[in-house]
Amino acid sequence: MATFIIRRILQLILVMFVITVVVFMIFFHTPGIDPVRQIAGRNPSAQAVKEIRHQFGLDRPLPVQYVLMMKKIFITRDLVSYSNQGQKIVPEVVAATPATLSLVFGAAVIWVVVSIAMGLAAAVFKGTVIDPLLMILALIGISMPVFWVGELANLITQSRWHDTILFHWVPPLGYTPFVQDPGLWFKGLVIPWITLSILYIGLYARVLRASLLDVQNEDYVRTARAKGLSERRVLLRHTLRTSMITFVSLFGLDFGALVAGSTLVTEVVFGIHGVGFLTWQSIGNLDLPTIMVTVIYGAFFIVLANALVDVGYAWLDPRIRPA
Amino acid sequence: MAEVAALEHIEPAAPGGPEVAGRSPWALAGRRLVRNRIAMGGLVLFILIVVVSFAAPLYANHIAHVNPFQNNLNGTTIVNGKKVSLMQQGGGILHLGETPIGPTWDVHHYFLGADQSGRDVAARVLYGGRSSLEVGIGSAVLCCLLATIFALLAGFHGGWIDALFSRMMDVIWAFPVLLLAICVSTVLLNAPNGVSIGPITIQASSLWLPTLIIAFIYLPYVYRPVRGHVLSVSEKEYVEAAIAQGASGWRLVFMEVLPNVITVVIVLLPLIIATTILTEATLSFLSIGVQPPNASWGTVISDGQGLLYTRPWVAIAPGFMIVLTVLALNVFGDGVRDALDPRAKLRVEG
Amino acid sequence: MEKRFWRGLVAVGAIAAVVIAAGCGGSGGGGSSSSGSSSPSTTAAAHKGGTFTILANSSFGVADPAQNYTLQEWQLLINTHDGLVQFKRVGGVPGTQIVPDLATSIPTPTDGGKTYTFQIRKGIKFSNGQVMKPSDFVTTFERQFTVPGPTSFYSGIVGASACKPSNCDLSSGVVADDAASTLTIHLTAPDPEFLDKLALPFAYVVPASTSKKLTGNNVPPGTGPYMWKSYDPNKEAVLVRNPFFKVWSADAQPAGYPDQIIEKYGLQISDEVTQVQRGAADEVFDGDVIPADRLNELNAPQYKNQVHVNPLTADWYMALNTTTPPFNNLKARQAINFAADRNAYVKIGGGSALAQPTCQILPPNFPGYAPYCPYTAGSSTTKWTGTNIAKAKQLVQESGTAGMKVVVNSANDQTSKALGEQMVSDLNKIGYKASGQYLAGSVQYPYIQNSKNHSKWNVAWSAWYQDYPAASDFLNVLLGCGSIHPNSDASPNIAAFCDKSIQAKMDQAEAKGVTDANAANSIWQTVDHEMTDQAPWVDLFNPKQIDFLSKRVGNYQWNPQWYILIDQLWVK
Repeated sequence: MATFIIRRILQLILVMFVITVVVFMIFFHTPGIDPVRQIAGRNPSAQAVKEIRHQFGLDRPLPVQYVLMMKKIFITRDLVSYSNQGQKIVPEVVAATPATLSLVFGAAVIWVVVSIAMGLAAAVFKGTVIDPLLMILALIGISMPVFWVGELANLITQSRWHDTILFHWVPPLGYTPFVQDPGLWFKGLVIPWITLSILYIGLYARVLRASLLDVQNEDYVRTARAKGLSERRVLLRHTLRTSMITFVSLFGLDFGALVAGSTLVTEVVFGIHGVGFLTWQSIGNLDLPTIMVTVIYGAFFIVLANALVDVGYAWLDPRIRPA
Repeated sequence: MAEVAALEHIEPAAPGGPEVAGRSPWALAGRRLVRNRIAMGGLVLFILIVVVSFAAPLYANHIAHVNPFQNNLNGTTIVNGKKVSLMQQGGGILHLGETPIGPTWDVHHYFLGADQSGRDVAARVLYGGRSSLEVGIGSAVLCCLLATIFALLAGFHGGWIDALFSRMMDVIWAFPVLLLAICVSTVLLNAPNGVSIGPITIQASSLWLPTLIIAFIYLPYVYRPVRGHVLSVSEKEYVEAAIAQGASGWRLVFMEVLPNVITVVIVLLPLIIATTILTEATLSFLSIGVQPPNASWGTVISDGQGLLYTRPWVAIAPGFMIVLTVLALNVFGDGVRDALDPRAKLRVEG
Repeated sequence: MEKRFWRGLVAVGAIAAVVIAAGCGGSGGGGSSSSGSSSPSTTAAAHKGGTFTILANSSFGVADPAQNYTLQEWQLLINTHDGLVQFKRVGGVPGTQIVPDLATSIPTPTDGGKTYTFQIRKGIKFSNGQVMKPSDFVTTFERQFTVPGPTSFYSGIVGASACKPSNCDLSSGVVADDAASTLTIHLTAPDPEFLDKLALPFAYVVPASTSKKLTGNNVPPGTGPYMWKSYDPNKEAVLVRNPFFKVWSADAQPAGYPDQIIEKYGLQISDEVTQVQRGAADEVFDGDVIPADRLNELNAPQYKNQVHVNPLTADWYMALNTTTPPFNNLKARQAINFAADRNAYVKIGGGSALAQPTCQILPPNFPGYAPYCPYTAGSSTTKWTGTNIAKAKQLVQESGTAGMKVVVNSANDQTSKALGEQMVSDLNKIGYKASGQYLAGSVQYPYIQNSKNHSKWNVAWSAWYQDYPAASDFLNVLLGCGSIHPNSDASPNIAAFCDKSIQAKMDQAEAKGVTDANAANSIWQTVDHEMTDQAPWVDLFNPKQIDFLSKRVGNYQWNPQWYILIDQLWVK
């Protein structure tokens, strides 16, 4: 077990290294774009351009530049943005994290609760009209692009029905930190939470239902029924627990991906200044240092989530060994 | 993509199937699929959307008489028998802004209204469907093809090839999907004279760029399940039997391994297409997918953003088309999976 | 300066309604005006106080005044810092007049126009309590060269040419005598615009102890009525009153009305509008990029006193690459000028209430401006009325460039993209094979400014807003032979246009301007018309600025240099 964990950690570091190199090469190799111009501000003199190039180490060979950047990110933590050299990036990313975490946690709570309810209901009421109805809803949920749902949500809650009882409480778009105003924090996140969770509710309701139905036919469930346990007990005590394994492992992957920055589109549409928004902004400005830090942040969480899920699986079922 | 990830754990159907004399498993699967009316409904809807989208030139030239790729800010059209300007100046005292006309619900005259460049929205939605479907289907097919080849090579050969491909896929998998696409797109699209790979130059406005990028980022989603199956199939008795009989190398791959592994790919394909269409829409919405002069559903939604409160149909229509298409694909994909693999964990039917 | 890029991510912004406060007789909508109500002193005192909140889509980048070249920060810097001279802090045309600020009076230059001797006011303190002395100015000017940023404004100072970011010694060019409280500036050549340049925030005094390196997002102390309390580019900037400030010249630096000024960042423009409509904030900063769907809302009668529209001395244009075919041919350039559908461009710019078509380089109401348009249908030579496609096609044939490939370069935000697409359409109409090339906003400007990229595009969209009211700021900076820097990525003459005889006239006008501004302006007028005839650009339109304020705001004044005068607004 221990060797397995150590191997996974080494893999994690290797993968992160490769990712940072790939990102570095992608952006440094952009034709026609010169990072010095971004740093130098507008209409600089040729002399200033030359000195800046030297000052930021941009005239050194690429591998050296890569190492310098990694040092500034991890060791000295004073990497500055190209678009605003007064801005230290690592603190900037750290400051943006609460917004993303708030968005993801809230959405996760909603989607877990609703999808379990839906999946259970669909499995329990299989054979009636409720089952296909819920599944169609789930299918629709996974078929709608998140940004489009967000746009429509804005149209309805900010404009068309804003003055009705339903939505007059919706504040203007944007994120308010919890410590600043908890009420506003909550009100401003409700619609984004619902928008983000629709997709995942659809996915997880289907996954759960399928797991439940499959497990129904296993021997130990038949045994439980033969023993005289009620259907409900069978469902909740036996089948649900086993079905949750798949559910939980998938949840781990998706949650990790969201924290890593898959919230990008949602944050952009709702004006929430989290890590995804920061990533998007920095890519739009071709601000390599910020891109690098946000990608590292994102990749770390995804790889971590993957590793945790794999470890969890291996711990739960010793027969399973990683591919 | 949780659903696709879950498919890693599917058991492949054993060849031979249930005890029905004289019918191949493919025919059986086909029959199961055709009997599934909802799945067939999904297929029909999808085909309908494809046909209508590819008939966009017909609509634009013969029914609506517009060129949806040309700005038409000073143009006019007929509404209720009267000639109106496509762009209407604001009222009140200040007359700020120019708002395009809204839906006329007249098939011949700007059915869904105009966008802020005076172009026919309905025609653009149809043409947009063409681009979205081309990129979506193209990238999915390319992705499945490449991933299958890699998986066969890796699973069958093993050794360093397996290690190399698997690590490569790990790296791609670890990249937040959207992020990788955004990074690569941003850089390639800002190469003003196109991207050159050896002798081939791809212009930034070509549909090949988004197609290649999206195909690339979803490789691990197909590679992993397929490789898993290649490995498990390789250990089956019938393969060992074939080897004992003297079969080797490519013959083995094509005659024994591939037909069993192909079921996984067929099951995955509709789901991957659904995913690629959504991804293309997201990238185009962020202005780093399909580039002008081409239009796609995502770009039309992006156009509609600036008009959202006054002319919401510009954003609603293409989004609705995306939902329909992806829904149809998902429903059909479910049916395919049920047909090919009655013991699959994600069955919809009991 | 070039158009400020808003990092337009999601442009679903509406224009914040400009709400003009009812109470204190504020100015009505449209046009530049100052409040014209009852006795100023009593009403003025009653309006002191409150917090004025501005909403902006993005921050202005790094805050160091030696580097920042954005109007967004300049509007705040004029309230926190002072220079030797200043533009008069009033609305309307009088606001273009230069008045003494930290100097006691405007000196006449001596030594053939090369030496300016300023008498510096005594007893003025920085916001940290330090007393301002003339030697502080030496550091201020040296920082211009040690901090990366535009240096061209002050490169005429003696010793500036030897300055490098690592080391700059201007002690021979900027001579400070703290005992006598004088500051003497020596130039290498007379410069009729030097006083304008001194009125820009680059030249506003900071303490001599300020680091010669970039101070990042910390703004050095200033002498103005407000001071910077904090600046977080991801959140907001906060300005509070400077406790050490006393009014020494109401013309140059009056006391402000609000007690606090806050600028919040990161909102989408649609939300800025919504917030100001609801009174949760006071001003939408990005009035020039309000999306169409919210613009229409502002026409409603309830916002009558909250919306102000003012013409800007700015150009939105398409530069033509004069170094490569087809636009190295004059007839081809004139052809596209005849074919460009300025009506369509105006509509993209927000309609005729927000954009005015133009054919010439100088914007209206600029020194040296006289209406001129040789590229219109019909026989007028002063006003554009329509395209002349027939003439355009004929010119294309005569030039022999028909059928050539043309690449149109623009940015990929909604408006710039639409402008690019329209240009592609106009070019195709007269027989070229045009295609578009769309780059991210922050990438597009350096890209087209980089003379190495000249072979890659033929038409490029750009915009230019005045630095100060002088004709050379448009004509010489953007189209002068000296503004072409080969193999550099800072070549503001995007079209790479150079005509020796016109350049000679510009030099003549510059020289004349030292002594006789009027004579110089009539030469500039000729230059403007001749330049327009040479068609290095397709000039599209002159934009207008919308200021949308909340209901409670009063005393709106529009200054042609600084636009809305924030510190003069009433929020109580």
